[in-house]
Amino acid sequence: MKNALAIAKKELNIYFATPIAYVMFTLFVVIGSYYFLQLITQYEAISKQGMMMQNQEFLSRLNFQDVIFRSLFGFLGVILVFIVPFLTMRLIAEERRNKTIELLFTTPITPIEIVLGKYLAALAILACALGLTFLYPVLVEKFAGATGVEWRSVLLGYLGLFLLGAAFMAVGLFVSALTDSQVVAAMITFVLLLMMWIIGWAAQGSEGALKDVLQYLASVSHLDSFSKGIVDLKDLVYFLSVITLGLFATHRAVEAHRWS
Amino acid sequence: MIEVSHLTKNYRDLKAVDDISFQVASGQILGFLGPNGAGKTTTMRILTGVLPPTSGAVKVAGFDVFEEPLEVKRRVGYLPEQPPLYPEMTVRDYLAFVASIKGVAKKQRSSEVERVADRTASRQFIDRVIGNLSKGQRQRVGLAQALLGDPSVLILDEPTVGLDPAQIIEVRGLIRSLAGKHTIVLSTHILSEVTATCQKVLIISAGKVVAWDDLDGLRNKHATALTADGQPGPAPSLEEIYLKLTSA
Repeated sequence: MKNALAIAKKELNIYFATPIAYVMFTLFVVIGSYYFLQLITQYEAISKQGMMMQNQEFLSRLNFQDVIFRSLFGFLGVILVFIVPFLTMRLIAEERRNKTIELLFTTPITPIEIVLGKYLAALAILACALGLTFLYPVLVEKFAGATGVEWRSVLLGYLGLFLLGAAFMAVGLFVSALTDSQVVAAMITFVLLLMMWIIGWAAQGSEGALKDVLQYLASVSHLDSFSKGIVDLKDLVYFLSVITLGLFATHRAVEAHRWS
Repeated sequence: MIEVSHLTKNYRDLKAVDDISFQVASGQILGFLGPNGAGKTTTMRILTGVLPPTSGAVKVAGFDVFEEPLEVKRRVGYLPEQPPLYPEMTVRDYLAFVASIKGVAKKQRSSEVERVADRTASRQFIDRVIGNLSKGQRQRVGLAQALLGDPSVLILDEPTVGLDPAQIIEVRGLIRSLAGKHTIVLSTHILSEVTATCQKVLIISAGKVVAWDDLDGLRNKHATALTADGQPGPAPSLEEIYLKLTSA
């Protein structure tokens, strides 16, 4: 475990020495903030409408969680599809290209520690990216007045978003272990994550058992119950199994590369 | 210290290393020669535990590389042909990272980093980013990395490539000073380097051992073979012996 932490520390050192993490953080926050402002405007419009109609029941049902955060988290989850490939592409592909993987193989460190160390660094980067968006609920809380933010649901939403990102990172790490080329790794990861997302669209057009299966396979849909404030076992199982499978496959790929 | 017996390595249909055997005694420097593609790098990667052999046994410091790779890796410092460096890191961060994964205790890490930097004359650029260093400087950082943790076995793949003549002499002096305490396998294409530093020479060609002897033994053997009338002829240079053995 000590070795895994040393690897993670080195990865973070490199992440913050190169522009890639900063660029991705900026993109994430700029797009996220734009959408957040749209949602605020929308909220304003809806509540004005409710006040004009003097509809008390409608106004009492109106809350930030449903109008702003559920939609915002769903959107951030989709942006992760576009950002994660660029954050994971270099993790192992670059070591293979620079032949530094050989250094790791000649030191008393096991492939499991290499994979875990890299994954930990990826999770830390993910936490940073999500942490930057924490400004949104804080801002809403500050200006919301009495209604306030439902922190429990917001934090659960973040947990869901983190698990979704962690699953994406595991997929990206695996793809990065398969090639020497960072560009190829990013593209394949992107295609895989995109497919995991849009498979949900296919679910809408189908019915019966097929619909259930497709719905379950779609990644972003598992986020929604978290931002409703519910932790559903089937969503947890989905994320944890994608993470486990991704890490296991990465470990096999790293071992296989050593033997080739 | 290093025992290789009947080592074979196949890459699919290609026989990279074909039934080679040799030993290196503790504290000795072995000069490892052979044309490009003869299987030198493959052999060295097997010695370090990176690559598993197809058949045969390799023991380093009493441990089988296949059975107990971690024990072997704890005792081996390896400088590959292309120094394994992270261009984004500073020399100091890089060496500290390698020291930590080599299991150097946290307290000794910074003094160990400075020790190897001093030995390889890398001290003056220790806080610079590796990507900005010259080829010779990078080579020295690669060598410093191999010395971290004071491993009893050093495997050096062309350690003087890219160095200027003064640095080559320095590095040779360093390698000679390491002998005795360390067992060294030194691969090179510069034959004068072997005459200057090594006690024993191993020459392989097309994956097979063509010579394994000490320098004088090699000279004597080929000196007698060179004359027609039974008189020992003039001792040939290592270059002549090398060309004769590897062209066959």
